Order: sequence, then C-alpha cells, then structure tokens
Amino acid sequence: MRELGVVLRRELLSYFASAIAYVFGGLFLFVLLYVTVDMLEVGRATDTTAFFRVLPWVLLGFVPALTMRLWSEERKLGTLELLMTLPVRRISLVLGKFSAAVCFVTILLVLTLGLPFSLALHGPLDWGPVLAGYLGSILLVCAYTAVGMFFSSLTRDQIIAFLSASVVLLVLGLFGHDSFLIVLRDAGIPRSILEAFGAMSPTTYFRSIGRGVLDTRDILYFVVFCGVFLHGTVLVLERRRTRG
Amino acid sequence: MIEVESLSKSYGSHRALDAISFSVERGEVVGFLGPNGAGKSTTMRILTGFLSATSGTARVLGHDVERDSLAVRQRIGYLPESTPLYSELRVDEMVRLAAELRGVPSSELEQRMFDALSDCSLLDVLGKTIRQLSKGYRQRVGLAQALVHRPDLLILDEPTSGLDPNQIGEVRDLIQRLSERHTVVLSTHTLQEVVASCSRVLILDRGRLVADGSLDEVTRSVPTKAVNVRVSGDFEAVKAALSAASLSGEESSRDGAQAWWRVVRSGPGADPKSAPESARVARALVKGGVDLLELQPESASLEEAFRHLTQGEVVDA
Repeated sequence: MRELGVVLRRELLSYFASAIAYVFGGLFLFVLLYVTVDMLEVGRATDTTAFFRVLPWVLLGFVPALTMRLWSEERKLGTLELLMTLPVRRISLVLGKFSAAVCFVTILLVLTLGLPFSLALHGPLDWGPVLAGYLGSILLVCAYTAVGMFFSSLTRDQIIAFLSASVVLLVLGLFGHDSFLIVLRDAGIPRSILEAFGAMSPTTYFRSIGRGVLDTRDILYFVVFCGVFLHGTVLVLERRRTRG
Repeated sequence: MIEVESLSKSYGSHRALDAISFSVERGEVVGFLGPNGAGKSTTMRILTGFLSATSGTARVLGHDVERDSLAVRQRIGYLPESTPLYSELRVDEMVRLAAELRGVPSSELEQRMFDALSDCSLLDVLGKTIRQLSKGYRQRVGLAQALVHRPDLLILDEPTSGLDPNQIGEVRDLIQRLSERHTVVLSTHTLQEVVASCSRVLILDRGRLVADGSLDEVTRSVPTKAVNVRVSGDFEAVKAALSAASLSGEESSRDGAQAWWRVVRSGPGADPKSAPESARVARALVKGGVDLLELQPESASLEEAFRHLTQGEVVDA
C-alpha cells in the first residue's frame, strides 16, 4: 500500500514537473470549453448536456496522449529495468501509474466546474445530472486510461501507443452511438451483434450514469473494464521477462 | 549468497546463456569478464528478476529468483548497464524515490539517504537535476540509489564503462570501499577493472562460463609456451644441456654467474605451442652439469588468459 502511494505521488508530480502536462492541460480545457460554449450558444441550452456530450470525444484524443509515455518511455530510456528490479509488486506500479493519470485528469475536470457554476448564476440549474455527469466522466477517464496504459506497455514507440489506443477507443465509442449502429445495421450486421457492440461501449454506460439514475451494473461495467486492461498490462510486463 | 545451477537463456534461437553454474560467497568481490554479448548482462538481469531464465535455477540469499523474486529484490541493489535514471529528478529526489521504493522505513529515511549520498560523495550536487550531471556523477547517483537500503548484495553492470580515467578511478575507489560492507558482483569488459577491484573472476564467452577462480588460478590455468629457469653456469654449458634434450632457450638476464633463461621446445616434431614439462627441463639441466636454482612455468597475464579463454588461442607471452 505504501509502495503504491510512493508510485502515485512520483507519477502525479511528474505531470506537473513537465511542460507537456501544462500544454496538454491547457489545450484540453480550451477545446472542451470552447466547443461547449459554442454548443450552448447555438442550442440556447441552459444545462451541462452539451458539455457531457463533447467530453467523451475530447477525452478520446486527450487520455491516450497522456498515457502513451507511461511504459513506452520507461522502456525506451531503460528506466524500466530500474523500475522492474525494485522490490515493488508489478500491480503496484501499474495501479500507481493508473491512479496518477486518473488524478491528473480529474484535477482538470474539477477546473471545468466553472461552467456549471456560471450557468447556475444565470438561471436555475439541476445539480443532480451535473454531479452524475462528473461521476460518469471520472469513470470514463478510468476506462480510457486503462486502455491507453495497456497499449503503452506493448510498445516502446509512443506514437504507436497513442494511435492504437485512440483507434480502439474510437471504435468502442462509436459502438455507443445509435447513428453508427444504424449504419452497421444497414450494412447487414445482425441485430444481436449490434446489441453486443452497444453493450461493450463505455459511452453507453457513461450516458446511463449521466441520466442521474445510479445503477450498480453501470459501475460494475467500468470496474470490470478497467480490471481487464490493468491486468492485461501486468501480464504484458510479466511476459516481457521471458522474451527479454 | 548466490547459487546458480545450469542457468540458460535463449532469445528465440539465439542461446545467450548456456548452462552456466557458479556460486558466490558472502564478502566476495566477483567480476564477470567477457567480450560484448558473452552473457554478462543476461546473467545479472536474471539474478535481479528483470528477465526470467529459460532453464536452470538461480538462488540469491536462499531465495529462488523466479518464485521468490520480491524477497530477492529486497536484499539486492542493482545498477543496470548504462545507468538509467530519471533525468528530470534532482539527485536527492532520485535517491529518496529509490529509498522509498526499496522499502526504507520513514524513520530511517533521512539517515540512510545521508549515508548513501555521502558514501558516494554526492552531498555537493544534491540540488542539481540528474540531466545536468557529468557521467561520473551520474554513475555515483546510480550507485547511491542501489545501496541506499543497505543491501547484502550489490550487482553492478559495467559500472565504469564510458567514464574518463579520473572518473574510473573515483568509481573504483568507491567500489573498493563498498566491498568492505557488501558482497559485490560487477561486470566489465576491461581487464584492469577486474585486477583493480575483484578477488575472483568469472570469464564468460558466448554464453558459456570458461573460467572461474582467483586471478592467480585463472592465469595459471592457461597453457603457455615456456618455462623460466634461474641457473648458475656459463652460457655455453646451458645451451648444450638444453639442446641435448630437444630444448632451446635464450638468456633473458644475467647477474654475475647466475642467469635467467626462457626455455621452449625445439627440434623436429616438437609442438612449439606448448611449454616443455618442468621435470624434463630440470633433468636436462642437471644432466648437463648446470646448477638449477629456480624454475617457474611461465604464467600468462590476465589479458593473455582472457584472450586464450575467449578466442581459444595459445598465449604467446
């Protein structure tokens, strides 16, 4: 537990120690708020629906960009050898890096709270869906981070890690959109498979949570989803020892 | 401290390590010597748990490196080849991180950090980022992070490669001091390193262990071409005595009536690549009426032994 804390702290500090974090962070907030404000103006909306509709797409590019270096860089610089020969369990390394990335994005999400607060100033705001939306967002960040980190453990090339994670997340994301599934249906893919696609997509559960009704199945989905990719990362690191 | 039994490692079809066995006792300073690609780093990476062996077993402090890797990793300090460090960290941050991850209790953290940093003469660069440091300093940071938890065993992969002569001297002195408290296993492809630091040498060649012993034992095990004798007698008498027994020799130094001669095989059918038997030389000289005062089979230098063992050459001393 202590070792996990040490890894978490070191990783989280490393985000703030490098300029990349500030550039990414600024870019993330700018894109997110710009798109949302734009949508609010057009739709004359008075709630955060637009914000949570844009968020998954922004995260789709942003989280893999943040996680791509987590293992690739350690391998490329050789520090992986240092890390893996420390008396620290692999799972603590994986969970430490994972939770640090989630914490970092969560901090950025907290900064976006300015949006609902300013909406609340201009008229009545229902805080239920707002809070549910943020909970769903954090779970979505967890899922994306787990995928991004898994692909980072597979290669020493950060760009490959970024692209493969983004493509996988894009496909999974599209599975959660009816308009995309309709395209697939018209292409002749059977309904049962399309339903399975929908049930696989994090977006489906993200939206379900965002409606403000907490269903344990939604939470369980994210727990299992993250568990699969985190465990996968541990296996990849372990497997690498036999290949050399 | 270390027991290794028929350890092998293959990368695909390439056999990097071929059934090597050795053991290391507490307090020893053992040098792995071998050309590049001989299997030195592979052996160290298996001992430290970074790689797993294809077959064979290795135990460190009684713990199997594969099944009990965490227990092994708690008791060793490892400096990987080319000293990977987090270059964005300051020296004190790097050593603190290593201390925390190596399980140093918080109550002892400051003391252990101070000890490691002062042992490695790093107190004057604490606040510098590792990126700013010279290679010699980086190497010392690598050593400090490896020993901050006072491990029983230090494993150092090429601790002096890429350093200038002054830095090499500093790091060697440091290793010398460390060897008083830790068992040390280091690898190198330079012979002076072994001579300077090690009490025992293991020579690896193409994945095989070709020599294991003290420097004396290893150099003596290598066949040489000649026997050196100290004799009392005149030049012609020695010459005649030798040629009568199909030997030939040269006087290498003379001090009054006494002289040193270097004796080799000669005559038809003699194999010039092996030294004459000491007994035959002695008999020949005595029979020729020469007083034999001293006789020494020529010993190879470590460099010659190394060349012989890793290339299968006979030493031409």
